[in-house]
Amino acid sequence: MKVKLRYPHVAASKPILAELILKTGLPINILEAKLTPMGGEMVIDVATQGPALKSALEYLRESGLEVTELRSLVEVDRGLCISCGACISPCPSRAISFDGSLDIEIDAKRCIGCGICVRACPRRAIRLI
Amino acid sequence: MNEERGKEELRSYEEINEKIRRGDAVVMTAEEFIELVEQSGLEKAAKEVDIVTTGTFGAMCSSGAFLNFGHSEPPIKMVRCWLNDVPVYKGLAAVDAYLGATAMSETKPFEYGGGHVIEDLVSGKEVELRAESYGTDCYPRRSLETTITLEDLNQAYLYNPRNAYQRYNAATNSSDRILYTYMGTLLPNYGNVTFSGSGQLSPLYKDLNLETIGFGTRIFLGGGVGYVVGEGTQHKPQDGFATIAVKGDLRGMSAEYLKGAVFHNYGTTLYVGIGIPIPIINMRVAATAALKDEDIPVNILDYSVPSRDRPIIKRSNYAELKSGKVVIGDREVPSSPLSSLKVARKIAETLKRWIESGEFFIQRPIELLPNYREFKPLKIKKREVTVGDIMMRLKDLVLARAEDDIKKVAKMIVEKNIDHVPIVNEEGVLIGIVTTWDLTRALAEDKKTLKEIMTRHVITAKESERVDEVAKRMAEHRISGLPVVDDVMRVKGLITSDDISRKLVGRRGL
Repeated sequence: MKVKLRYPHVAASKPILAELILKTGLPINILEAKLTPMGGEMVIDVATQGPALKSALEYLRESGLEVTELRSLVEVDRGLCISCGACISPCPSRAISFDGSLDIEIDAKRCIGCGICVRACPRRAIRLI
Repeated sequence: MNEERGKEELRSYEEINEKIRRGDAVVMTAEEFIELVEQSGLEKAAKEVDIVTTGTFGAMCSSGAFLNFGHSEPPIKMVRCWLNDVPVYKGLAAVDAYLGATAMSETKPFEYGGGHVIEDLVSGKEVELRAESYGTDCYPRRSLETTITLEDLNQAYLYNPRNAYQRYNAATNSSDRILYTYMGTLLPNYGNVTFSGSGQLSPLYKDLNLETIGFGTRIFLGGGVGYVVGEGTQHKPQDGFATIAVKGDLRGMSAEYLKGAVFHNYGTTLYVGIGIPIPIINMRVAATAALKDEDIPVNILDYSVPSRDRPIIKRSNYAELKSGKVVIGDREVPSSPLSSLKVARKIAETLKRWIESGEFFIQRPIELLPNYREFKPLKIKKREVTVGDIMMRLKDLVLARAEDDIKKVAKMIVEKNIDHVPIVNEEGVLIGIVTTWDLTRALAEDKKTLKEIMTRHVITAKESERVDEVAKRMAEHRISGLPVVDDVMRVKGLITSDDISRKLVGRRGL
């Protein structure tokens, strides 16, 4: 599950993620981080689900972070999309493909939110969330 | 075959149209026809099927629309004109104009262009019209601003000088940076392959010898009815790169099949939907209509080479490209289309339905398209400044050998007042380079010979290259000098950013 963390001013100087990893042993991958002592944002991938995920997110919230579960990092405007496929092969994490009816499908589990598809789309139909 | 081309041996246009009128013409999309040929053989399929429908929906830059705005009161001879800030060509009569797909908005370039205006007009949206003039006795008005819709115009027709390439080369990128091209985003080091065209649904490939598609052929154009109005520009049928010019009334077309588009850092364009009915008039036409993706060759070109003759990296075909991966060298590289196969199929299906329901009749071409055309390059006749014109020649250079002592080389550098020393072997072949900066560092770190400090991967130039290309290369690699070499890498000279800026002062053309 990909999760967006918003760090308020006070939390930015605490090693919250490191403590979570030490406490739970969960593998956590940091996909994006914009942190200053004044606070900031981070996108992480927590490789678990069910109660373990719930308690990990609970821990982050208790530590003072604002936690948003990300279902996807990008969004396709189906009204603009023409199913051309220009976004598929430029995707470095192979997250984009055609589905059975030749519509564009983005695998949220693979997407790293790099934004290459946003520039590759001739219809400007993709945006980062 | 030339006299035979277009011969109606299996059925005539009149016979087919009579069957359409009666509602019993046998129509199949190109993909259905391929299946039938596989099941029952070509001969039987050709006897059974009257028309094969095709489709393509891709970016077609040579597209645009002729518009007539009507006369304002008092009237204006529009000299400059914009639609939603996109400049419109006004070298025509007072209120006639040509809106080109790749013209870009002056306020939102690389985001909105002529293709988008066409899409907006066909969608029924209001578009801002702005025009300027110098005023004449017969056309006194000097400027106007208003809004128009498609309905307000006297005439609005799509006229595309080049559409529907029979097939198109695919693209990849051998360089170490991302390229943004009209073939889409190309990742470094052969990171992906992009391709265009609909392969086994491609209208012009399915009539490979152009026996039925010619001047006057009635077609599906942008969701409405249009006509082939001759060969397209850069028509090169002898190599499978035939093109057509098409025309059709924008009123009656649909924004579903005309979509404005942007290629990042390249510009704007228009996706055009075209479907052509191919009457199976003889066995040769049947055979080409049955060609499959694997029968249609596509060369994958290296778009990092800044030349009109880009090297072929691999000979592939539409079956391999559509599979989503292509083998280049020993690697599997992801491939994806730029044209929409989903919409191409829908076009072939729609055209089939039109014919089956008796709404659309086929038209025998008034004239066939040429099946040979010379493909001419543009020659640059004015002499351009080349590296050879301004480079430092061997007599003014310091060349060194890898074993040379650093101090000796440092002394020569001071005497000749230069910054770059190419390192060569006994045949004069370039094997490395050192700069004054490398030498300074070497002396500080107490190194003894050039071998220990030289850069082995050297960026070079050729004598015949244009100076602006070489300047671009220097900027890209953030270096200030390039050895000039011949075809076997023997050093012929050296060109530096200093040479370029000093020796070109006062010259024109750069």
